[in-house]
Amino acid sequence: MSKFAEPMTRLIDELKKLPGIGSKTAQRLAFHILRSDDDDAEALAAAVRDVKASLRLCSVCNNITDVDPCVYCSSATRNQRLVCVVEEPTNIASIEKTKHFNGVYHVLHGSISPLHGIGPEQLRIGNLIKRVEHGQVDEVILATNPTVEGEATATYLSGQLRRNGMKVTRIAMGIPVGSDIEYTDEITMLKAMEGRREL
Amino acid sequence: MALHESEAIVLRTYPLREADLLVTLFTRVEGKVRGVARSAKKSKKRFGGALEPLTVVRAFYDVRERNELARLDACEVLDSPLSSEVSYLRAVALAHVGEVLDELLPDREANDAVFRLALAVLGHLRGREIWMPITYFQLWMTRLMGYLPDLSECIVCGRSLNGGRAFYHVLADGLMCVDDKRLASSELSSDSRMLATQMFRAPIDTFTGVTWPKELGADLRKLLMQILQRHIEKKLTTAAMLEKIDG
Repeated sequence: MSKFAEPMTRLIDELKKLPGIGSKTAQRLAFHILRSDDDDAEALAAAVRDVKASLRLCSVCNNITDVDPCVYCSSATRNQRLVCVVEEPTNIASIEKTKHFNGVYHVLHGSISPLHGIGPEQLRIGNLIKRVEHGQVDEVILATNPTVEGEATATYLSGQLRRNGMKVTRIAMGIPVGSDIEYTDEITMLKAMEGRREL
Repeated sequence: MALHESEAIVLRTYPLREADLLVTLFTRVEGKVRGVARSAKKSKKRFGGALEPLTVVRAFYDVRERNELARLDACEVLDSPLSSEVSYLRAVALAHVGEVLDELLPDREANDAVFRLALAVLGHLRGREIWMPITYFQLWMTRLMGYLPDLSECIVCGRSLNGGRAFYHVLADGLMCVDDKRLASSELSSDSRMLATQMFRAPIDTFTGVTWPKELGADLRKLLMQILQRHIEKKLTTAAMLEKIDG
């Protein structure tokens, strides 16, 4: 016999499917929703429904958006000829936080991962190549993660884009600001030395 | 609770809970060990790039009684795949080495010969030349695990295959002569059999500097993959990815 009433068990089971949510947290969240105002519970349910109903991928850059093209691709103030390639839509927020990048984005929705059977054909590369072929881009910045998978993706993309004579750059890798060289691992230090610049 | 220390190769990592990583290590001292690297996803301070697959590290970990998972305390990078360019070709080859080791090796059973083989092969997987190290790895791995049949005689009639044609079949345990081959068998060329013999006699360094197109030893690799996949009773994801790569 279930510990809770059937609708409660169902809500706990659904919440448990979310990343980072275990049984206890799911129970706590479910009881919080139960105790909250009807309006708050309704607003939460509506927000969940809307996110699935109204969001889609931008036809230009594959970012998650409610309007197509997305706010970046349709912006008149952004440099549409400078494209930053990222693995996931969540990476855009990190770059936007700098307030220094005024170009647009291209989201791959993953990276090359041979162990998971993900090759270049599984990534959303086609519309990036088209943008480049149509002469709409001056520079592509590859901002994939500094991991084996991210590097393989960047190297593959660079090979594809350079065929069209495109200027392709890779984000720098190295020591985080505010950290100490003494505690930097060998690979990060190596990348920092390789990516040094003249002052 | 003593801290164990061993040279190791990181085979795979899986996300665990909010910020931890479950890491599969192939250690020289204890064989394949699974352990938890706490906060490895959230903070890169402690492990840095040491947990990238196929990184050779000096691992420090402790094993508690009645606990299957070790606790990974620290890792010092000895050699990283990120120290040279990671092309798509190289990424697939590295992943293949990792997957084969992970699937074939039993837990907590040291195997120094396989460890030395893996180190040698990783050392040669640097540029765009992947087919020689991959062939060498698959051949020796099949032999070291005890799965490789005698390549010089027919498993049905026992006749010597030297100088004659040899065939293999996905369901057969060895090579067959032209008279005993099964329907839908594939041929293993005498050049590939010669190559296998050479690879058993010489270290991997002997084969560097020679151009290796994908076609060279392709039939041998197909035979070896069939043998390995038959023993683990599953298809290797990276074997299919290697197959798709253009020469």
